[in-house]
Amino acid sequence: MLEALSEKLKNAIRKLLGKSVVDEKAVEELLKELKIILIEADVDLGIVNNFIESVRKKLFKEKIPAGFTLRDYSIKIVYEELVKILGEKAYEINGKKIMLIGLFGSGKTTTAAKLANYLRKFGKVALVCLDYHRPAAPEQLKQLAEKINVKYLIGSDAYSVAKESLEKFKNFDFIVYDTAGRDALDENLASELKSLAEIIKPDEKLLVIPAEIGKVAKSQSEEFNKLVGITGIIVTKMDSSAKAGSAISACVATGAKVKFVCYGEKIDAIEKYDPKRFVSRILGLGDLETLIEKAKEVVKPEKTEKLIEGDFTLEDFIEQIESFQKIGPFDKIFSMIPGLSLPKDIIKKQEDTMKKWKYIIQSMTPKERKEPEIIDESRIKRIAKGSGTSEEEVRNLISQYFKVKKMMKSFGGMKGLSRGNLQNLLKQFGFRV
Amino acid sequence: MFDFLKKKLKNFVEKISKKVEDKDVESKKVEEKVEKENVKRKKLIEKLVPKKILTEDDVKPFLEDLQIDLIEADVAYEVSEKIKKDLLGSLVSMEIKKGEEKKLIKDFIRKSLFDILNLPKVDLVKEIQNKKPYLIVFFGFNGSGKTTTIAKVAKYLKDKGFKCVLAAADTFRAASIEQLEIHAKKIGVDLVKQKYGADPAAVIFDAKKHAEAKRIDVVLADTSGRSYSNENLMEELKKIVRVNKPDLKVLVVDSLTGNDAVNQAKYFGEIGVDAVVFTKLDVNEKGGAILTVSYILKKPILFVCNGQGYNDIKEFDAKEFIDNLLEE
Repeated sequence: MLEALSEKLKNAIRKLLGKSVVDEKAVEELLKELKIILIEADVDLGIVNNFIESVRKKLFKEKIPAGFTLRDYSIKIVYEELVKILGEKAYEINGKKIMLIGLFGSGKTTTAAKLANYLRKFGKVALVCLDYHRPAAPEQLKQLAEKINVKYLIGSDAYSVAKESLEKFKNFDFIVYDTAGRDALDENLASELKSLAEIIKPDEKLLVIPAEIGKVAKSQSEEFNKLVGITGIIVTKMDSSAKAGSAISACVATGAKVKFVCYGEKIDAIEKYDPKRFVSRILGLGDLETLIEKAKEVVKPEKTEKLIEGDFTLEDFIEQIESFQKIGPFDKIFSMIPGLSLPKDIIKKQEDTMKKWKYIIQSMTPKERKEPEIIDESRIKRIAKGSGTSEEEVRNLISQYFKVKKMMKSFGGMKGLSRGNLQNLLKQFGFRV
Repeated sequence: MFDFLKKKLKNFVEKISKKVEDKDVESKKVEEKVEKENVKRKKLIEKLVPKKILTEDDVKPFLEDLQIDLIEADVAYEVSEKIKKDLLGSLVSMEIKKGEEKKLIKDFIRKSLFDILNLPKVDLVKEIQNKKPYLIVFFGFNGSGKTTTIAKVAKYLKDKGFKCVLAAADTFRAASIEQLEIHAKKIGVDLVKQKYGADPAAVIFDAKKHAEAKRIDVVLADTSGRSYSNENLMEELKKIVRVNKPDLKVLVVDSLTGNDAVNQAKYFGEIGVDAVVFTKLDVNEKGGAILTVSYILKKPILFVCNGQGYNDIKEFDAKEFIDNLLEE
């Protein structure tokens, strides 16, 4: 999610961090780069210019607070200004009648089902189809509704279905309306949408906007807003698109905030939007909060100490692997760590190797894990068979283990690295560790 | 359609032309002054007369503006760089001939764009006549408009006198099969389907067999929308290609796509794309994705779709497209 964008932002910020002296010129360079990056991420040009201007003003016209270097402060400001655009907190669904609106192919019907499934936790939900233009749209809604087991209403014409739904689902807690995809500038479709909104009087009018859409996001959002008044935004296809600048444009154009993010094809691939995390990731600061929370849960301090001392057994090794896997897939973990980026295929390969190591270690006896020195050829044969790997792979793991152990001992453990560069890095980004 | 780009390109031509004019006036002034001086000094001063050619400093600011405009029109950054470089190369040291500058500048733009869009065409009718049944597989990102496009292409081919069968190989998305079925009925072509969750490669295989048995000319296969970052789905697509060996692999791209068009072109390109269809042109005044995808994929544009009706499909003509962009 957003790799390509954050990759570039990361580079821009890294460049700034790498400079020995951060002066006005260096900041100007950063701002210039930021501009190109944001435009490339499909954010509207006017919005980008305003953004850059407000950052510049803050940095050069205001006094930098005591205790901040220009370097720290500029990163803090960039972060804060982006949060300002996207909203400062996660927003709730307000009210009962929720209408989804958007362009063709933005993912409204799938999103309607996802949203209904999500809302089921909070009350009785019904799905209503108001799309009688696209062939089989009602059928799609019906199949999805049956799959998640919620009541639904389909008919043959949008107006009568809209009216019927108000009576039929009177006692429900939520009614989710799926409308036809439309070009907001198409007069017929626009007036249909307007009339439907007048009949239903929805409490929420959510604009569904796909993450990969280009600069047209702004004008379409503006039009939809004029037609019915947008109250919130759902960003779809976040799993696949590298950029979601369209969401920023839509927020500015409608004044509404993002409420949900959809990141996959499955029915539960929807989550409440968290602007702070979103910005962290765009900025290449990574999803630090999540990482810290999760890392706290799984990494026991004494184990880390052992690792740092260079005194660890294969048993500790497997525990480390397991706790790493609990945090999430490798590429996600790495994307969460700022300033660290590895090619995807290398990460994937490393992940596969780690999995194999886990199987190999699991096929060892407790004694072998504690004293790997005793593992001889016949033991290797047995371990390879038991773990479904080759003898070569078992040998590799063992030699890798001894190498690491030896290296750590000769360096006096990882102590030389003074408690981890990560923490220093985090501090630089203004996070309390 | 494309009014934005059109306007911006026109703007650029105007600005450069203005610059040319200014320079012309400037050098004339100096020339007149020189005329008045005696011959001896004239020789010296001649060196100081500004040359009647554009310099890098003359055009750079305008090119930078143009680049921003292109990016604003959803042309990807790397593609805008190429156009910028092309124009810089041809504009610098361009000789100033008053009255002809507009045409010259436009020719330079035309050349740069033609470079991107002039790709060997696919003659669909001829290809189908040479091999029957002819299998076309359509794939692309979620919501790009594959199913609707297939219906339009089927209608187009049927009007050309070919018999078509649709293969409902999107066995994932709810009601995708029903959607294609309705289209098939409306256009009056056959449809081959299985259950949801069935192996898409097998559905296409069935459709091929059906076409062979019934002497049908073309098989048009619909596949589920997929994200290029989903490895499993990309593997599935590879399998579809491996098993069925399509005669034409068509990537369907939403023309509203922003810079993500780069990724779509790159990753779907790895599967092997033979031609591209752009959809939703009726919604778009920018359309830079067309330039982006063509530049990266280097595959011809088979059709462009611009509306909801079955007949809202057009063969793409690069020359016509560019002429339209540059016309007054």
